[in-house]
Amino acid sequence: MTGKERVKKAFRSEVVDRVPWVPFVGCHAGALLGVSAEKFLKSEKLIVEGVSKAVELYRPDGIPVAFDLQIEAEALGCDLVWAEENPPAVVKHPLMNGTALEDFRIPNAEDGRIGLVLRAARTLRSEHPDIALYGLITGPFTLALHLLGTDIFMKMFDDTTYVHKLLAFCKDVCVAMSRYYIEAGCDVIAMVDPMTSQIGPDQFTQFVTPYVTELFESIRTQDALSSFFVCGHAQQNIAVMAECKCDNISIDENIPLDYVRDECEKHGISYGGNLQLTSVLLLGEPIDAQKNAIACMETAGDKGFILAPGCDLPYATPQANLTAITEIVHDEYKRQVAAQVACERSDEDRLDLEEYGKADKVIVDIITLDSEACAPCQYMVDAVKRVTPEFQGIVEWREHKIKYRESLVFMTSLMVRNIPTICIDGEIVFVSRIPPKDELIAAIQKRINEKFRLRIQQRKASIYVLDSGCHKTDAMEENLKTAIRELGVDINVEKITDPEVIQSYGIATSQTPAIVVAKYQVKSLRRLPEVVAIKEWLKDLQ
Amino acid sequence: MADLKALSDSIIKGDQKTAVDITKAALDEGMAPETILADGLIAGMNIIGTRFKANEVYIPEVLISARAMKMAMEILEPKLAEAGVEPVGTAMIGTVQGDLHDIGKNLVVMMLKGAGFKVTDIGVDVASDIFVEKAKECGAQVIGLSALLTTTMPAMEKAIQAIKDAGLSTKTMIGGAPVTQAYADKIGADGYAADAASAVDLAKSLLN
Repeated sequence: MTGKERVKKAFRSEVVDRVPWVPFVGCHAGALLGVSAEKFLKSEKLIVEGVSKAVELYRPDGIPVAFDLQIEAEALGCDLVWAEENPPAVVKHPLMNGTALEDFRIPNAEDGRIGLVLRAARTLRSEHPDIALYGLITGPFTLALHLLGTDIFMKMFDDTTYVHKLLAFCKDVCVAMSRYYIEAGCDVIAMVDPMTSQIGPDQFTQFVTPYVTELFESIRTQDALSSFFVCGHAQQNIAVMAECKCDNISIDENIPLDYVRDECEKHGISYGGNLQLTSVLLLGEPIDAQKNAIACMETAGDKGFILAPGCDLPYATPQANLTAITEIVHDEYKRQVAAQVACERSDEDRLDLEEYGKADKVIVDIITLDSEACAPCQYMVDAVKRVTPEFQGIVEWREHKIKYRESLVFMTSLMVRNIPTICIDGEIVFVSRIPPKDELIAAIQKRINEKFRLRIQQRKASIYVLDSGCHKTDAMEENLKTAIRELGVDINVEKITDPEVIQSYGIATSQTPAIVVAKYQVKSLRRLPEVVAIKEWLKDLQ
Repeated sequence: MADLKALSDSIIKGDQKTAVDITKAALDEGMAPETILADGLIAGMNIIGTRFKANEVYIPEVLISARAMKMAMEILEPKLAEAGVEPVGTAMIGTVQGDLHDIGKNLVVMMLKGAGFKVTDIGVDVASDIFVEKAKECGAQVIGLSALLTTTMPAMEKAIQAIKDAGLSTKTMIGGAPVTQAYADKIGADGYAADAASAVDLAKSLLN
């Protein structure tokens, strides 16, 4: 199934093989190319290059051509201020500065930046035939705000006729723009109308519903799909939005996804969005992005949902956060792993494993999802299983299935991030890669040698002379010291006279003088070893 | 006698003509200006603020209420000054450097005015040193900083730092779409408000 087919099926609320992924890459594509938002959004060539780069990196099922809600406003004479890392902002509203509504005409396909964006759309269409291309248009209410400024809010009470006239014009602009995009090859027209979040359902029904319903109807007659994008706190309007006969509603993180799901399902339309733009995608870690995506997918189920950010991706969104989502979208197995890791990740649960792996035996830990259920995990476990007998009991292995909580704690304590992973004595050695036999043997052997060297270095001994006041003791101690000196070894000689200590060696005072030799190894300094580590030392002593 | 309940209702409805008429009539009757302010205008704005927080009304309704309040205040203000009535507090609001968005900021300005604050609006794209300079000028007890863009959030931190470095004892509060309480804590702002009505409550609590 191609991305385009997948998006189309999801729009029609049909079951899909996997969730369609539509990263709303706008000026972020500029960041991918290392150019400013201004340069990017003003260049046909850069838009084509940037979007293609995003397609290559994020392997999406659908992608917008240009996410810039000022294109129509600019063509209609609004002054823009450009920024390095943001789309431009409208600073002058023509209807407040002497232009009359009657002076406006519908922009043609070459006005302002419309021409360059449409040419970019055509090129992208031919270069990426299998991807759903989104043509983004500014919704009538937001466009009206661009043209008139916030005075529109007062005029909605003072002069409803004027506001209706203005909105009817803006709707005509929308219809024209959607036609241009569809002719350029776009599959989906996303009508972005964020300013509708500022009004309630009554005014929405009065001022937005009639115009957008007509627009969606015109998109449908051209055999294209429509999506109604809103952002901000717009929960109050979801029900009335769903009645506007769009095919899909896209929301940001301000509205609970389950609420939107229920409203949209009631109206037989699809929905999408909800990935958190700032706190997760921009400022979070890849694991947070995966966790967020999984939460969305779990809420949404297997039909009628488009996995997408809440709105235009911030310019500086780290690529890794988006590729992390790409991975779990394309790889069912990685998704399961991420789901497991995501559900429990509390730092308090972490074990201190600094002391782990200091026992005599070498321990090979395999962190898996479950070797019985996941093929890569199974192969990794088999590889270890085959190799360990060659070490004749010196190497012990165990599998940690992270579907169990204690294994998950163990995994995070060892700082393991990927599944499956092989750790040798608590050190991450093979990540997501099944090692060939020789390599695995070499890695284990290396650790054995290391340990042997350490043991020689760490080996210490003491000789205790147990004395209860016998005259022979001094001569005995003297002989010991001579022997140690002549051999040149580092052994400590200590005389013990406390009867209780003498007894603790299992020797009666009548049996003295006696000599006890003790070999010892320093295992832990200044920290509290975990029980799992202590157990390994104790096994050595038996 | 002038009906202050009717005055408060006219504010809630955003009926500026009635609001002005009742205010005038009340003053003509010799009613104390502070009573008209508290029991008529502020009482009405409080109700609008509560409804806004509860998602019962939205920005357009708040704006027309604020406009009705403003018209009535133009008549009332000189009388309040004559009577020596002090504002609830002195606030200053601006959108931080690099950010041109002002809908949210304007709403906070109106709501604060509606709650009886003296408010100085220093506009959009305001640099840190201007925040400091203007705060000194107007003697702000509380400064509100607004940002809509993720990329301009760091400018909030800068401005708050500059306010602290200048040794001003002014309280700071932040708001705007990408901003959170956690961010406020991180950059050392005294408070965060999720919407304009909450901003009024926050400003009041910061002054206590």
